[in-house]
Amino acid sequence: MGKSLVQAPLTWGVTLTSVVLCLLLLPLRLPGLELAGVGPNWLLVWVVAWSVKRTPLTGLWSGVVLGLLQDALTAPQPTHVLSLALVGYLTARLKKQQFTQEDLISISLIVFAMAVLAETIIAVQFSLQEVNFILPRAYQLLQEIWVHQQQVSLASAILSSLWAPALYYPLNLWWERRGVLPSP
Amino acid sequence: MVVIRRWWSRHKLQALLTLLAVVGALLLRQSHGFIYFEAYRWLSQPFAPSVQTQERFVDAQVLELETQVQELQSQNQQFQALLAYLKTQPNGVAAPVIGRSADHWWQQIILGRGQTAGLSVGGIVTAPGGLLGRVTQVTPHTAVVLLLSDQTSRVGVTISRTGSMGYIQGQGSSHVRMFFFDEDPGVQVGDLVSTSPFSKLFPAGVPVGQVVSVDLGKNAAPQAVVELSVPISSVQQVVVTPFDDSGIS
Repeated sequence: MGKSLVQAPLTWGVTLTSVVLCLLLLPLRLPGLELAGVGPNWLLVWVVAWSVKRTPLTGLWSGVVLGLLQDALTAPQPTHVLSLALVGYLTARLKKQQFTQEDLISISLIVFAMAVLAETIIAVQFSLQEVNFILPRAYQLLQEIWVHQQQVSLASAILSSLWAPALYYPLNLWWERRGVLPSP
Repeated sequence: MVVIRRWWSRHKLQALLTLLAVVGALLLRQSHGFIYFEAYRWLSQPFAPSVQTQERFVDAQVLELETQVQELQSQNQQFQALLAYLKTQPNGVAAPVIGRSADHWWQQIILGRGQTAGLSVGGIVTAPGGLLGRVTQVTPHTAVVLLLSDQTSRVGVTISRTGSMGYIQGQGSSHVRMFFFDEDPGVQVGDLVSTSPFSKLFPAGVPVGQVVSVDLGKNAAPQAVVELSVPISSVQQVVVTPFDDSGIS
């Protein structure tokens, strides 16, 4: 009992540090970390890594928290909470562990799909904002939004899925060693 | 005497050779291996790096230095341009770009200077070439800039040549769309665009870009595509000028 009390702060300290690290990586556009001006969606990778072996509700809440953090860095509207919360929920609902024990490739695939989903949700939010804008312009704006959505979601999905194992592997290993993952 | 003579006659050759060897070795030692090194060079010549490879090595070195000089020159040029530009902006504060938007939808940059350097919300962000955007948020040491290329950026502009008015809206790239208020703006490709006096968020007359294509038949109002004069994706240093819109009614 006493041992776990000492270890808990360390376990969650490292987890928190990984989130902070992801936040710091977001504004960077380094060579190899950039495709058409878009970088990997590190927070999405984190939410997937967190949710994949946890319950849907835990996944949802992690998405809410990280979505709020990303809102803080950009703008509160449209919010990132919706997209990341759904990503967390769906990732947990997949129950990947029941189908395959293999980790890295399946994680990359999940991240790819979820990145496309997340950018689509944001595009929908932007579209809804524009509908009550001047009508003749609305059609053109919607077109621009969805062209942008295609570019962004493809670039983001490719980069995020490529870099996903780099974040998932150490985090998962840490949580496994610490025994904080719920038993399947 | 007899003993010595008998020894000499018997070991003459041996003794002479030994003496020769010792003297030779001494000479070599005194000359610091002069012959040895000359001989070594002569023997190793077939295997030595050819003049050509040496030239290549020198060439590579020259290339390295040239690259360094070029890099320094371009850096120097950038800083000098910024300095000259800064002189034209008496209230301007130079700031480095330290980051980009934290998601894929907003067109923002993060600057490395903030409140402590005198930056405030509403500050006009420019770079050599023209307008970039507007400060939307400041912390003591950083500032977030909403770029003209963002879809929520709408700025009143005017065509300098004809004076026809309109506004531009970002499209997420270095090209922005311009909408005219007039039915027939008389705009041509190559026309220069700057901020209009009707803009509330920006001072009038700041260069924005150049018209690259015109579409007069579109929807209700004529449109044009304007290329921003500042290369938004590669800009590294900007100048922030405070702008107080309360004085303009």
